[in-house]
Amino acid sequence: MITEKEIDIARKCIDIALKKGADAARMSLNKCVSDSVTIFNGEIDKVTHSADRSLYMYIFADGRYGTFSTNRLDIHALDKFIGNAVNMVRMLGEDSLRRLPDKSRTAEDAKTGMELELFDRSYLNSDADSRISTARSLSIYGKVNPEECRIISEECEYTDSYDDTVLIDSQGFEGRHTETTFSAFVEMTIEDADGNKYSGFWWENTPFSDKLDIRNIAPKALERAVRQIGPKPRRGGRYRMVVDRNNATRLVSPLFSALNASSIQQKMSFLDGSIGQKIFSEGMTIMDLPRTVGKSGSRLYDTEGVATKDAPIIENGIVRQYFVNTYMSGKTGFAPTVEDISRPCLMPYIKGEDLAGREKEVSLEDILKLCGSGVYVTGFNGGNCNPVTGDFSYGVEGFAFSKGKITHPVREMLITGNMIELWNNLMAAGTDARECARWQIPTLAFEGVSFSA
Amino acid sequence: MMNSIQYYLDIFEVTQQQLRKVAEAALSRGGDYCDFYFENTTFFNLLLKDGVVSSGGFHTDYGVGIRVLKGEKTGYAYTENTDLEDMMKAAKAASAIACGSNESRHYSPVSGEARDMYPVRKNWRDMSADAFLPFLKSLETRVFRSDSRIVKVIVRLSDSVSDVLMYNSLGELTCDTRPMGSVTVTAVFSQNGKTENKTASRSFRTGAELIDDMLIEELASDVVRGIDERFEAIRPKGGQMSVVMGAGASGILLHEAMGHAFEADFNRKGQSIFSGKIGKQVCPAGINVVDDGTVMYNRGSGNYDDEGVPGQKTYMITDGILTSYLHDRISAAWYGVAPTGNGRRENFRYNPIPRMRATYMESGNASPDGIISSVSKGIYVDEFSNGQVKIGEGDFTFFVKSGFLIENGRLTAPVKDINIIGNGPKALSDIVAVGNDLKIDNGTWTCGKEQSVPVSCGMPTILVSSLTVGGE
Repeated sequence: MITEKEIDIARKCIDIALKKGADAARMSLNKCVSDSVTIFNGEIDKVTHSADRSLYMYIFADGRYGTFSTNRLDIHALDKFIGNAVNMVRMLGEDSLRRLPDKSRTAEDAKTGMELELFDRSYLNSDADSRISTARSLSIYGKVNPEECRIISEECEYTDSYDDTVLIDSQGFEGRHTETTFSAFVEMTIEDADGNKYSGFWWENTPFSDKLDIRNIAPKALERAVRQIGPKPRRGGRYRMVVDRNNATRLVSPLFSALNASSIQQKMSFLDGSIGQKIFSEGMTIMDLPRTVGKSGSRLYDTEGVATKDAPIIENGIVRQYFVNTYMSGKTGFAPTVEDISRPCLMPYIKGEDLAGREKEVSLEDILKLCGSGVYVTGFNGGNCNPVTGDFSYGVEGFAFSKGKITHPVREMLITGNMIELWNNLMAAGTDARECARWQIPTLAFEGVSFSA
Repeated sequence: MMNSIQYYLDIFEVTQQQLRKVAEAALSRGGDYCDFYFENTTFFNLLLKDGVVSSGGFHTDYGVGIRVLKGEKTGYAYTENTDLEDMMKAAKAASAIACGSNESRHYSPVSGEARDMYPVRKNWRDMSADAFLPFLKSLETRVFRSDSRIVKVIVRLSDSVSDVLMYNSLGELTCDTRPMGSVTVTAVFSQNGKTENKTASRSFRTGAELIDDMLIEELASDVVRGIDERFEAIRPKGGQMSVVMGAGASGILLHEAMGHAFEADFNRKGQSIFSGKIGKQVCPAGINVVDDGTVMYNRGSGNYDDEGVPGQKTYMITDGILTSYLHDRISAAWYGVAPTGNGRRENFRYNPIPRMRATYMESGNASPDGIISSVSKGIYVDEFSNGQVKIGEGDFTFFVKSGFLIENGRLTAPVKDINIIGNGPKALSDIVAVGNDLKIDNGTWTCGKEQSVPVSCGMPTILVSSLTVGGE
């Protein structure tokens, strides 16, 4: 954990920067410790221990701005380092829009780092033996009937870590965020009777050690490899597309990039001019819910120290918020908000049904049944989205389905289209976002997606 | 750039006696081999945006990574202090890998001399920020002058210098100072309400002598080249077709779709589609594929790799036959061959693993024009991005940033925003022509296999008889 002495160093660095001629400064002190154990084919393969400490400095001087960092926290070395930093800032071009956020916008409720209850004290009791034991218990190598499939390799990894950050600025803001993470990952590579290889992986992660359920990780990884055996070609055409909840973020992230004021100001956004407009389908609602206690991805302040808030980003297809930091607010004239998305949650939706106030669960099976036939995408393989036009092209793999049931695996397929058109063809969004995901994006279904093969 | 050993010992405030002491501690629980990777890196960057160099900074990163091997098992720990006490703690943590293991492997010293592949005339560390401001401004002005449709220009300059000292339990002590300079320019164009953007970059292991008027001309001309076609480009009808890959940046496809599958860690573990295929014909005779750490000033080159193995040139495919994987010390010992100098890492926080350097296909005999004229219906591509490969299956996908339709042997309509998808081994075996125009692309390529390392790539013009092109 970051010590009081280390926090004091960060405070002193603010003073040093001001004394050296800075008008304002912000310091971000981060400490992260991580331990992991990898088991390969049932045997220990790798044990790693990492412990990082860094100080990131944002210096404002004479209407100019620079960023600097070091992992050498000796106060005498820092004095010289900051002096050089302030001198360098003064050499840069003047840009009066560079400044700290208005103090009234900064968070006042992140004093101890524990407010969001993301720190599990049992982490402090973790030791090498318990990590090895947990990693070993992930493995099912040698326990699978070889007649069912031939496992070429099994890699299991258990990791626990803590991340502690203190953010301090020269206006008196001090914020702290502390969280632990416990994660387990298994990747299986198998071979079919013809020597073709297939791989599958599965993982779990959580801030709390007692919530890490490792029992089914390896079997799921194996199942995800086995189910790919025997892919069949599928002709190109327009199909309904169901996107697995583990992959659906791929279709959401271009929207957030396009909603960033920096992209808009640099004319690199297909959502320029969209604020307050109905751009997407009626049923599409994405909330940012960063203040949910005990959930991965929650945070009380952004990288500028600005207080986060729960708010709609897209509501019933209408764009409600751009992401505008202090600098971009000055550049664009948009009211400042948080710098970027924290914990997006895409709300459940079924076209033509009113789900409001209903407790109904919408699962993958429900969505496959709703769609009837099409392609169920379980992986993206390369591709891109043009930030200016929203035109995209992604490699995909997954399964063909018919009458609501999966029929056979497909791979080497491509989807092409435009992000705005795609999201206007949203048919359904489930209620099955994974608990462990920072981005709460469920299974999605879209009408009329163009597939090439 | 190589300095005296004492220069590095002074930077890290260690003695050779201390190194031996820490090595003893690292092997005290029965490890077969240990090594240390000391690193002191300084980074510097400037950003010009909206006509002003309005942000910049510098960063330092310092520490030592300690690795212990027992058989093929790895124990790894690092410390951001290099005093003896902290190093002994890290050594103890890494040594734990050897506990309770009976496996062992003999790790041998490596032979060969390193030569300096990046002599420096102007050390980045001696330069002040204001020395680069006129360059950034001149580049911006030159780019704006190149095309009246340009509405935005963004220029980034970054450099780094890494002092590295490597020591291992075989007594090998090697040192290197690695410079890197990169300049990237992005222009945003507007025409009749449509917007397009294009980026050009150069990156070399060189000193500040990189920054000159010639670089301005090169980047300014690169960033506007092909923009007319970009505005006119269409998405073609998709399907299976012949694909001609232009010389240079197409090499990234070689890196992603084939190169990763040649990395020996994937093969040692049986995960690669090329596992067990050494000595087998994997593509037509006459094709040579190389991974090279010895190209002067190249972004992927190293006087030594990150395990202290001298930089070398490795033929992975010779005359169509798979002749070598890319090895670090672990896989080399496992296969009983010499390391190929591919043990690389992002920084001292990571253990080294087999990684590519500059990966390219050697020139063949065909003329590029002749290759294009041999295709009745297909696609020509000269700029890729966002490639991805599945190592076991060999399936790859690449996003095409620019290219042309080929109709009856001629380049016709420009195309963009499409993907090419295929299978690595099949694509290799489907190469039917290799041009005589190998070109190394010196852009800011970075490979992201678990860790980020700088690489480069190259390719002559080649024709693949059939790949899937995604379009309308």
